[in-house]
Amino acid sequence: MATLSLKDIRKSFAGIEVIHGVDLSVKDGELVVFVGPSGCGKSTLLRLIAGLDRPTSGTIELDGRDVTGVNAADRGLAMVFQSYALYPHMTVRQNLSFGLENTRMPKAEIARRVDEAGRMLEIGELMNRRPTQLSGGQRQRVAIGRAIVREPSAFLLDEPLSNLDAELRVTMRAELAQLHERLATTMIYVTHDQVEAMTLADRIVVLRGGRIEQVDTPLGLYNQPANLFVAGFIGAPNMNLFPATARDGQAELPGGLRIDTGPGAARDGKVTIGIRPQHMHLAEAGEQTLEGRVELVERLGAETVVHAVTAEGTTFVTVLAGQPEVAMGDTLHVTPDRGQVHVFDADGQRVARD
Amino acid sequence: MVTAPLTLLARIVDPPLRLWQRWTGLNGMAAFFLLPNMAIFGVFVLIPLALNFVYSTTAGTNILLRDRSYVGAEQYARLLDCANYLEPLTCREDQFWTAASNTLVFVIFQVSLMIAVSLITALILNREIRGRSFFRAVFFFPVLLSPVVVGLIWKWILQRQGLLNLMMVNLGLEPEVWLNDRFYSFVATIGVSTWAHMGFYTLILLAGLQAIPKDLYEAAEMDATPPTRVFRRITLPLLGPNLAVVLVLALIRGVQIFDEVFVLTGGGPGTSTLYLTQYIYEVGFASLLRNPGLAAAASIVMGAVLVVLTLAQLSLSRRSERAGER
Repeated sequence: MATLSLKDIRKSFAGIEVIHGVDLSVKDGELVVFVGPSGCGKSTLLRLIAGLDRPTSGTIELDGRDVTGVNAADRGLAMVFQSYALYPHMTVRQNLSFGLENTRMPKAEIARRVDEAGRMLEIGELMNRRPTQLSGGQRQRVAIGRAIVREPSAFLLDEPLSNLDAELRVTMRAELAQLHERLATTMIYVTHDQVEAMTLADRIVVLRGGRIEQVDTPLGLYNQPANLFVAGFIGAPNMNLFPATARDGQAELPGGLRIDTGPGAARDGKVTIGIRPQHMHLAEAGEQTLEGRVELVERLGAETVVHAVTAEGTTFVTVLAGQPEVAMGDTLHVTPDRGQVHVFDADGQRVARD
Repeated sequence: MVTAPLTLLARIVDPPLRLWQRWTGLNGMAAFFLLPNMAIFGVFVLIPLALNFVYSTTAGTNILLRDRSYVGAEQYARLLDCANYLEPLTCREDQFWTAASNTLVFVIFQVSLMIAVSLITALILNREIRGRSFFRAVFFFPVLLSPVVVGLIWKWILQRQGLLNLMMVNLGLEPEVWLNDRFYSFVATIGVSTWAHMGFYTLILLAGLQAIPKDLYEAAEMDATPPTRVFRRITLPLLGPNLAVVLVLALIRGVQIFDEVFVLTGGGPGTSTLYLTQYIYEVGFASLLRNPGLAAAASIVMGAVLVVLTLAQLSLSRRSERAGER
């Protein structure tokens, strides 16, 4: 059990700063997911928390204790590596007990913990095998088991599912969620997969270029993205973004559709209007519409993804429920759900419309 | 006409290929392409090996076979004729047994020292130290030197009026006759041969160390593993195959030691640094009563010992590899 707090963390490699002052606090028992594109600094941040690297400046606190200068070994954390990092010459049992033997724990206690982890992760049958004799999913379980037996105050997981095939990833994702439920231990989880982030996280930290873009619950990020980057990163297909010019709190989209930009910062000047593909419906008679020529139709059964391009050449995507009669070359008339439209100012920051 | 040279070449190359293929079928083509290499191997290794065996069954001081007489296993009997194998002086060929016991002691100390020094050097060069590339090159340079040059360099350093004594005199110390002392000269042969070859073994071990994933060390770090335990439980087992290679090569080279020692000490003082290869050389070519048959027999015995050692080592390392997979 642990709370974690990062204060103005900076990290440079060879004089180049890659983490630019990160502040974050993680509550006890929380599952926080770091998500962002490659090179955003999420793994670096995790390694700083683990103690495998030291920050250039800033402080890291665990349960209120400053651990910035404390060795990885003495932080009481356990890490699951992307490559699993299982010792290839040891059996599963030896892999699980190796870390505990360092603490001079009685043999009986080590055996108890290893057996319990084996039962929990259903790898009891594999105890005498070596990692090379295990499938990807089994290795993943052993790697998690090695973290569990240590009963750490927090788990750090670095893209633990990225080496698994798609089907297994879904299964393991669900198992990880259950595991967190059962252990109720703080977990920091790094991934570049937004679906993993959305399904597992209590809170998501969206990172870009070594800075935090937004910290919120999965639905908070989806419903109220703080800026254009988060808006574009979370949600699939990506949010449609229409550049527009606001006048007197009104912006006009291609095709003449008018959107309220509110009385605040985006009353006048350049704005970006964001509409998620799922937040549009086929226009009914008398409704203001967004108009486009259909370029591609993807029929998924439960829903239909339609790619269209406006007369001005702006492309947009809409996800329509069911199996509507839409064909390539048709003219599509859709209307956004007014309450679900996002407005961003010239700097790309979210603007409250009320 | 781009194809003209090709057509010309085809006229030369194709007929023997076609002929061979007609004789042996497609599978025989592999043998055809291996032939040049096998021919070189045969001329310079296999035929001399067979000739060596033939010579070992003959007697006389002449080199030409027609002037030599067949004596069967007599040369071997002469080599192995010993009242007490632990005391070379009780043997008929006391020099052979002195050289053999010298070589045994040399190999035990030199191979142990070689592995220890190469391993420590590789471990240090594997760390993120300043000037790593420079040091990697420096430790490898002696490997590029001819053994004779190595012997000469160290002779200049260790001889009576050499560099080492000069430095000792300058420091106010008594000079020492390094190469005329039985103990020091023996130590010198071990030290110099280790210095000359360690770069090669360091390189093999360094390659092994770099093949160990960094993640494993980080996982061990997260598990609060003490450095000695990391070395014992992670580095050493994963370096096993490389260590086995180093052991076999160092063993073979150790038993065959000749050039550096011959230049440095000439086998002396007395017979204190007389090793097997030098014994074979002297008996076969350098002594007044040269005996090529005896030298050939001694080299066959030495070769047999090497084969046994290598096979034993290979089977050991294969067994540990199989245990590793299990």
